[in-house]
Amino acid sequence: MKIELFYALGCDKCASNRTSLKVAAERAVPGLEWHELNVLEHMDYAVELGVLNLPAIAIDGALEFPALPSAKQLVAAITRKSAVAESR
Amino acid sequence: MLKIGELAAVGEVSSDTLRFYEREGLIAPTSKSAGGYRLYDDDAVVRLRFIKQARDCGFTLAEIQQLLVLRNQSEACCGDVRQRAIEKKLQLEAKIRVLSAMSKALDHLIADCSNETHPIDRCPILGALEKATASAGLGGKE
Repeated sequence: MKIELFYALGCDKCASNRTSLKVAAERAVPGLEWHELNVLEHMDYAVELGVLNLPAIAIDGALEFPALPSAKQLVAAITRKSAVAESR
Repeated sequence: MLKIGELAAVGEVSSDTLRFYEREGLIAPTSKSAGGYRLYDDDAVVRLRFIKQARDCGFTLAEIQQLLVLRNQSEACCGDVRQRAIEKKLQLEAKIRVLSAMSKALDHLIADCSNETHPIDRCPILGALEKATASAGLGGKE
């Protein structure tokens, strides 16, 4: 599973809780890939996914959270997707 | 102090636009003359230029209002404004993609209509649009 967090330098909202979200996600699904993408360096990809606000989180190449979720919301989403992937 | 017509001339907008901006809470007269005319100080000129420039960059009036609030907040920082500018760019880039797709769709329709002397009932562009409308209608009934 791949998590991509889109952020911008100097964005306070982007900086807050980033570390705690990463820790919570890696604890919920060990071995997941966590990437933090500067939106200005990945503008085309961000637009392709439909990112309009920052910060935003995509899971496996699909925009899942157009705004920063709580750790609980993120863990719930990745646990659900992980269970779906395992059942296939 | 400037009267509304004078400020409008300096800012290259109409007096109606200034009254509209006033109703939207973007700009307000500093005072009123004895005759009841709106009077504006130099800050109104700066504010009006700010509004015009922000509109040119695609910001909505509501967003400009937020930017003006940030401009006067001592605890705000440039990063707050930068983030809004980046989000506006994301929205504009998304719109550009939609417009580009629409332009390409028109290219196909124009290319299909290579004979402009066709009678109107055999116009391929109208035919394609009708077909698209019919498909959409059928899709909606299913």
